[in-house]
Amino acid sequence: MTPRLRLVLLALALACIAPALPAVIGALPVFGSHPLPYGDIINRLAPAERHVTNMVSAVNFDYRGFDTLGEEMMLFVAVTGTAVLLRGTRGEAITALPATVPGRQIPPHSEALVLTARWFAPVTILFGIYVVLHATVTPGGGFQGGVIIASGLLLLYLGEGYAGWRRFMRNGPLDAIEGGGAAAYALAGFGPMLVGAQYLQNVLPLGSMKLLLSGGLMVVVNASVAFAVAGGFGILFVEFLEETRAEDPTQ
Amino acid sequence: MTLLPWAVCVWLFAIGLYGIITSRHYVHLIGCLSVVQSATYVLLLAIGFRWGAGAPIFYDHPPGTPAVDPVVQALVLTDIVIGAAVTALLLALALQLHRRSGTLDPEALRPMQ
Amino acid sequence: MTLLLVLLFVLTAVAGTGVVLSRDPRRQVLAMSANGLILALLFFALQAPDVAYSELVVGTAALPVLYLVVLASIRAGRTRE
Repeated sequence: MTPRLRLVLLALALACIAPALPAVIGALPVFGSHPLPYGDIINRLAPAERHVTNMVSAVNFDYRGFDTLGEEMMLFVAVTGTAVLLRGTRGEAITALPATVPGRQIPPHSEALVLTARWFAPVTILFGIYVVLHATVTPGGGFQGGVIIASGLLLLYLGEGYAGWRRFMRNGPLDAIEGGGAAAYALAGFGPMLVGAQYLQNVLPLGSMKLLLSGGLMVVVNASVAFAVAGGFGILFVEFLEETRAEDPTQ
Repeated sequence: MTLLPWAVCVWLFAIGLYGIITSRHYVHLIGCLSVVQSATYVLLLAIGFRWGAGAPIFYDHPPGTPAVDPVVQALVLTDIVIGAAVTALLLALALQLHRRSGTLDPEALRPMQ
Repeated sequence: MTLLLVLLFVLTAVAGTGVVLSRDPRRQVLAMSANGLILALLFFALQAPDVAYSELVVGTAALPVLYLVVLASIRAGRTRE
């Protein structure tokens, strides 16, 4: 199928869909009218029911907690697939030399970059932990805080260089953090079943609003999501950066 | 002017699809896929919006003040992070493709030659 | 329809078009970073701070770095085989 034929087919498909577009766009609700009732119910009932002030976290970890378990498994599978693909052809060793392209010089070592990264990496990781802990109180949660921690790990790479960074980020602990987070979410659901409730039902004491430990089971689930996301993105960075190293000449 | 959000979503989806179809480099194709994904994020958040309402966080003001829809925000939030992990998987696939065939041009990699 | 929302929606469409029309992958990475930033601003204006957090970090920092690393290993790997 030549590119020209592909574009002709695209034009034909668009010509068939285009007459329906104005009808569909006109039938959508007016922007800002908000026709969905479920959100209003949650906004009205959730603060009193679960003693939390962040409605998005309440929906993510409590009212729709089972869906978030599915998303967690999707993250786990994607990270595992990437690790299998990249480690399978390369092995698990840590290679010492960066790959070089002939004719392209290596940029000189920059002191300003190292200083900036060494200042901002701990601050970023601390901020990520703060965002994770304040899941049920202010905007935050396991997903956001996990990616902020992962970007702090990237700043560590910029500051320390590859060798120093890999001494800190080993395969074993990273895999344990990521897998442990995903497993902790699934296993935390069985806790309520020990006392006769349903899977993932919120049976822990709810605490009082505006405290960090409010929301019951949401705190446990939120922490496990943060571990899984931070560990998962750490594994992704390690695997991809390992691909830029030169091949081991002794193998 | 009230149709602008929906028009922007349709435009983003269409231009992303056009980019995927006419791409000459697999990494560029994955970037266009992210544009298509962002069209769905904008659509979901635009549906949940309400005039004169604040964020669905009741820390500073009492529960009862008008707020936008938190359900669609929860959907988009997990979608962004998981979409990034799936994009990483796609990039690993593109890397393996380059290792095996030396090129990343969809035109040069057709199955039946 | 406030002016801020109109401007942000139009900027989102322009940024998405910029990502698609940058055919060179290395230029496209910077366009993707700008796209992530503009999307995060749009999500803030639509009263969604949690979503803006995720989009800011993922779209501006984590994903463009992954793209750059993949492009670097593609370029370095070409001399291996």
